[in-house]
Amino acid sequence: MNRLQTKFLGVDFKNPIVTSSGCFGFGLEYKEYFDPNILGGIGIKGLTVEPRDGNYGTRIAETPAGMLNCVGLENPGIDYFESHILPDMKANGITTNIIANINGKTVEEYVEIAKRVDKIPEIAVVELNISCPNVKDGGMAFGANPEVAARVTREVRKVTSKPLVVKLSPNVTDIASIAKIVEENGADAVSLINTLLGMVIDIRTKKPVLGNTFGGFSGPAVKPVAVRMVYQVYKAVNIPIIGMGGISCVEDALEFIMAGASMVSIGSAIFSNPMLAVEIEQGLQKYCEENGIENINELVGIAHR
Amino acid sequence: MFLENCEILENRLVAGHNYLMRVRGDKTIDPAKAGQFYMLQCKNGFYFLKRPISLHYVDKEKRELEFYYEVKGGGTKDLAFMKVGEIINIQGPLGTGFSTDMKDQELLVVGGGMGMAPMKLLIEALSKSNKVTFIAGGRDGVAMEIMSNFSLDGIETHITTDDGSVGTKGNVIVKMEELMKDKKFDMVFTCGPQKMMEAVAKTAKKYSTKCEISLEARMACGVKACVGCSIKTKVGMKKVCHDGPVFDSETIVDFDPVLEKTETCCGN
Repeated sequence: MNRLQTKFLGVDFKNPIVTSSGCFGFGLEYKEYFDPNILGGIGIKGLTVEPRDGNYGTRIAETPAGMLNCVGLENPGIDYFESHILPDMKANGITTNIIANINGKTVEEYVEIAKRVDKIPEIAVVELNISCPNVKDGGMAFGANPEVAARVTREVRKVTSKPLVVKLSPNVTDIASIAKIVEENGADAVSLINTLLGMVIDIRTKKPVLGNTFGGFSGPAVKPVAVRMVYQVYKAVNIPIIGMGGISCVEDALEFIMAGASMVSIGSAIFSNPMLAVEIEQGLQKYCEENGIENINELVGIAHR
Repeated sequence: MFLENCEILENRLVAGHNYLMRVRGDKTIDPAKAGQFYMLQCKNGFYFLKRPISLHYVDKEKRELEFYYEVKGGGTKDLAFMKVGEIINIQGPLGTGFSTDMKDQELLVVGGGMGMAPMKLLIEALSKSNKVTFIAGGRDGVAMEIMSNFSLDGIETHITTDDGSVGTKGNVIVKMEELMKDKKFDMVFTCGPQKMMEAVAKTAKKYSTKCEISLEARMACGVKACVGCSIKTKVGMKKVCHDGPVFDSETIVDFDPVLEKTETCCGN
């Protein structure tokens, strides 16, 4: 009996486990370790209209129980994805749900990529990444400005008929208010948290380690912040949540679900444990069996009761 | 690409901050090739990413793998603290190794400092059916201690150190020039500090000799999922972990790219 069967935004997921964008490539990178179809869905590498080289210089730094990255959305662009990668995913038998993370530097670019993705039948869900810098607004992240977050969500909503998840940045004072704003402007769900802005200085060179000075902080160290934010957002909105941020074991996944996440997404911890998805899937099944939970949904937000 | 728990058979200080770890493997052994690397799990979980360590040697009969590594930070310090009999999770072999599928060629191998790590297996693989000349360089005698772990019978070997404490005083490039002036090599293989490899590649090019270099980059996953080790090459963006770490030196645009600041972090 599959106690993990989940319906999320009208889409059937065999379990509520997905991968975070940028941490699982296009689902092919780990296929020699486990069958990616074990996942409820695959969050693929963030896509933009044009190919991007990403940032120069050192892109990865590690901290205790965490890591920073400033990859800068390197990706081959939507044309290459459609012509090469998607056929490769299909040829490799990837049949689970695909969640396409989309990005732009301007609202127009977001609309353009959303239109393109909308025409791809294999994509089940669109995830709008609003953590990117808004170049017209002085480089401030779209998601950090409520008005801009509202506008980009509204405009993308107009051009896509697919379930729309807005991925929120934690680098704001009040994440619940941003979640409410994107809900009011057409988001079907929110995913949180994206990475926390951080930096590391090399005391030998006396310079920032990352080529881009700042990077996105993720890994086990950020989990309490992420759980808190999921808990806060769950109380503030009526749309479902994909919870992520430092999940590295089945217990972490359960915490997110209890805080209010209908789905959980695993990110950086896959890098250190390629078998993590399998372990979490088995662990959640076992937890449900041992605790008499018919379906994992019964646990969603249970910490609020 | 495999993932397995291996028993540590040896983990000893070679010299300075450099250690040699020997483990018993199983499925990770047979495909292992010179120039490839493994991701090694640090012990205590304080540092959660695995550490990419190049393969020093593989003994397929004994089912053993050797890793020569330098303690540079907390993660590698954790590795150094691991004891014989403990279990270490390793992932690999990863990446593309050196080209070793050749016969009756005059080959030059140039290793510098920690870049000596992949050379033991490389020399063994190449010398089976080729003539190999080896230049080993380092800062001082400490850097050259690892040489005692090499089998160099029949290999023309030249040692250089910056301080002259072992071998000839000077650097590998001076020796390389000296050798290349007199003899035509079919190919050069190198691993070492970036500046050294850049000079090796330049010298090889001067003598119209193909050169393979082994790059180093910070990476999180080792399987091109994180895109952390991406570099710009003449044939597009490439991942050091997957397309390398061994590259044809001609494809490398810049051995030491100038850091270009962009507007702000953009995450993955």
